Amino acid sequence: MTPQFILAALFIALTSGFLGALLGLGGGVVMVPLLVFLLDIPIHIAAGASIVAVVATSSVSASVYVRDEITNMRLGMFLEMATTLGAITGASIMVGVSESILETVFALSLLYAAVIMWYQLRSTGRSWIPKENDWLANKLNLGSSYYDSARDENIDYGVSRSLPTFLVSYIAGIISGLLGIGGGGIKVPAMNVVSSVPMKAAVATSNFMIGVTAAASALVYIRNGFCDGFITAPVVLGTLAGSFIGAKVAIKLRGVVLKKVFIVILLVLGIRMLASGVAGL
Amino acid sequence: MNVRQLELFVSNVLRFGVMASGILIMFGLGLYMVTGDISCPTGDSSLQWILYGDPFFAPSHILFLGFLTLVATPLLRVAASTLAYVVEKDWAYAAITGFVLTVLLIGIVLGLG
Repeated sequence: MTPQFILAALFIALTSGFLGALLGLGGGVVMVPLLVFLLDIPIHIAAGASIVAVVATSSVSASVYVRDEITNMRLGMFLEMATTLGAITGASIMVGVSESILETVFALSLLYAAVIMWYQLRSTGRSWIPKENDWLANKLNLGSSYYDSARDENIDYGVSRSLPTFLVSYIAGIISGLLGIGGGGIKVPAMNVVSSVPMKAAVATSNFMIGVTAAASALVYIRNGFCDGFITAPVVLGTLAGSFIGAKVAIKLRGVVLKKVFIVILLVLGIRMLASGVAGL
Repeated sequence: MNVRQLELFVSNVLRFGVMASGILIMFGLGLYMVTGDISCPTGDSSLQWILYGDPFFAPSHILFLGFLTLVATPLLRVAASTLAYVVEKDWAYAAITGFVLTVLLIGIVLGLG
């Protein structure tokens, strides 16, 4: 492991963390393919580095959200039952799966992320309709409220269709453990679209869950030797620094053009990875 | 401990956990850059190695302790929540967080067993 190699990994992580925070997408989804293509790191090792970095960034952002009382901690803990189980399932599958299969699944998730981002770009400004708690949410008191500083009002909301969201969270956990990414791109739409949780609360709650979810799978990665210290270390530090800067800049910036560019990047990485994965099947 | 106190505690646990691990990782990586010492293999996670290293201040062992601190942070958060719900006699949420804690402990058994 040369110093140049470590610096290159640091730089890739810095860029991915920055873009991730800027665009509200976890850094892992861009970082893993960049590590694989630019530094020729096996995808299992890249995912192992990424999952540890995901614990770091989500812990930092969760600490801020929790302080601001936007996170729905009850909903988070309820769904964590599903995501942690999924994470262990996914990480255990990862251990026995070939590089080509992992690359193919990763490619599909990149293309999925591009579609989600495109959809979000088109649906901005669409009004959100509050719903009542369903029976389970009622029993567990899942509905909550938060203070929206932009609109200067308290937003009350219920959680509808909590069981379907619970099941989707299990799948999100599997994907997260399998690919070493946060999986916010699955959880946020599930909470927002299926369960009618307002976007801000959904993002905050997803971040809150990701730390625990990633920690569950990180242990399995570490044990199985997919967590190379000299790759993981620069990746963690780079992602932390990048997402810190990204979060500062994101407040001042509204990037529609940036999002369009990013969609293209996701598509290119996705197609490239699909080609590489399918070729080896 | 009431819920708001719990939230603030959780927020602090997360921040300090990341800071502590960041310092360990920077130290380990810096040490490696200076010494070029790769004396203990990465990927070894036997209990023996976690506790003592080979030697203790080998860069890769310090890095590993940094990763472990990081991964333990959310775990500590869940344990704190479980305790708070038990104290509040909120049994439904004590059970929910207890379940999550159990899954994480299974992860440790699968991970470090």
